[in-house]
Amino acid sequence: MKKYWAIFKTQVVNSLAYPGEIIWRSMAILLFLWVFTFLWRVAFDTSAATTLSGLTLRDTLWYLMLAETIELSRPRFANTIAQSVKDGSIAYLLCKPYDFLLYQLSVNAGDTVFRLVLTFIFGGALIWGMVGAPPSPWGWPLTLIAFAAGWLINFCLTALIGLAAFVVEDVTPFTWIYQKLIFILGGMMIPLDFYPPWLQRISKALPFSYVMYGPARLFVSPDLERFTALLAGQLAWVAALGVLVSIAYRRGLRRLAINGG
Amino acid sequence: MTVIQISNLRKTFTTKRKAAGLGGSVRSIFRPQHQVVEAVRGISFDLGEGGRLGLIGPNGAGKSTTIKILTGILFPTEGEASVLGYVPWKERRQLAYHIGTVFGQRPQLWYHLPAIDTFQLFGKIYELEDKDVKQRISFLAEAFEIEDLLETPVRKLSLGQRMRCEIAASLIHRPKLLLLDEPSIGLDVVAKQRIRDTIRRMNEMENVSVLLTSHDAGDLEALCKRVIIINHGQIVYQDRVSNLKRRYLTTKEVGVRYARPIPKDFTMPDVNILKVGKYGVKLGFDTRQIPADVVLARLAESGDLVDITISDPSLEEVIAKIYQEVEGAKEAQA
Repeated sequence: MKKYWAIFKTQVVNSLAYPGEIIWRSMAILLFLWVFTFLWRVAFDTSAATTLSGLTLRDTLWYLMLAETIELSRPRFANTIAQSVKDGSIAYLLCKPYDFLLYQLSVNAGDTVFRLVLTFIFGGALIWGMVGAPPSPWGWPLTLIAFAAGWLINFCLTALIGLAAFVVEDVTPFTWIYQKLIFILGGMMIPLDFYPPWLQRISKALPFSYVMYGPARLFVSPDLERFTALLAGQLAWVAALGVLVSIAYRRGLRRLAINGG
Repeated sequence: MTVIQISNLRKTFTTKRKAAGLGGSVRSIFRPQHQVVEAVRGISFDLGEGGRLGLIGPNGAGKSTTIKILTGILFPTEGEASVLGYVPWKERRQLAYHIGTVFGQRPQLWYHLPAIDTFQLFGKIYELEDKDVKQRISFLAEAFEIEDLLETPVRKLSLGQRMRCEIAASLIHRPKLLLLDEPSIGLDVVAKQRIRDTIRRMNEMENVSVLLTSHDAGDLEALCKRVIIINHGQIVYQDRVSNLKRRYLTTKEVGVRYARPIPKDFTMPDVNILKVGKYGVKLGFDTRQIPADVVLARLAESGDLVDITISDPSLEEVIAKIYQEVEGAKEAQA
């Protein structure tokens, strides 16, 4: 395990090679949240209610802040994996005594750290200024755990898409579809609470909501029961998807034909 | 002890074929056509402990594919291989602890970080003790003359400096076998020579066996004890480098430039005049007929030399020559 920790730490340092870029990228959240704030103000004003589907305007915006933070900091390495399968550079990563998938996990986790922290700070500061203080801080550590579990689900799904490059030539359509599923069924654009009950049931059963809705909703309404139910669901998905990724990887490796070899 | 032993190794790839243009692209969606490429066609050889073997051949000959099978990255289609007692594609991770790899065209050092960070990371990856890693780094830094480069981000190093760091990084865990794929590609003459010297020194100091691929005849001359020439996935020639030199690397080409114009009918006994210009002349000769120093001395007598270059025949010429002999022998047998 020590070696994966070392890889993680190295990538954390590596991600700071261009600090300006990481700061600017994290500031993208300000634009999205600015637009969201106005949209949701209008929605709440029109209905003249203080809560909609159990959420106040302040809850909704803090929810969206966290959902955006998750979206903007989640690793997008499907194309990187796919590219390394296609151009054969995956081969060069395989010459070292580590598990390729755990290597990728460590690198992507290291890459997430600063983006997560900075996006959270920028987004949080804006929403605090617009609608007031964040939800109770005792839910924060729980949210962090749920975030980590959701991050793992996203990692597995993204890895599956990337490994599809062993079979198909271009994985961009899949990453596009995945992003839209996260947007809509994951609850990034609208909290799932606002959906009709049948759609809520479907989307809450799918893994996308465990990446985004679950942790973001827990952040707004921290509660131990919600947390344990969420974490159990997340871990079940991590286990199932983890097995799938590892099968896909082993199968794929047998098909590996290095281009330009 | 035999470090590498492979017999009758084959690797075929299936690649998609597509006719040119839009029509071809559409047709390939509905009726994909595949083409089988035989990258390696029945190669057998072995390498003993402390050996230095060069796998030489033009682009696409199957050199890199062979190296990738030996590291366990690629599964062969057929044949057997044992590297340090492991079957590479079945025991890739165990094998990885004992081999070092350098791919000239794919850096393993982290691009934005100083080389020392990658060295330390590799120490962790190979599960070495911190104290051991520290000692090893200072030893390698001295051997490769990279003490002053270790703390510079890799992206700011020159290609030659980076390559020295790459090779040092691949030796951090004291591998028993070093696999180098085109280590000298893109380097200038001085940097090439420096890389060759350090590889040879490490081989002599630590008895690490070396297998390298190259398409530069200079690499094998300077570095290898034994050479295998492969082309189209097959071994066309294998022998000791000293024999190869004696038999094939016997011709040299010399180009000189003089301070003053030279006569148009410039001649010299026992050499081939290839080209005569106003100030310069280019000639070829066989070192078995006339020693190089004699040629150089005669050239110096002919006027005030401004510039001089001496080159070996290109690998392509050597292979062509070997081919002619192989084909000639076949015909003679028939």
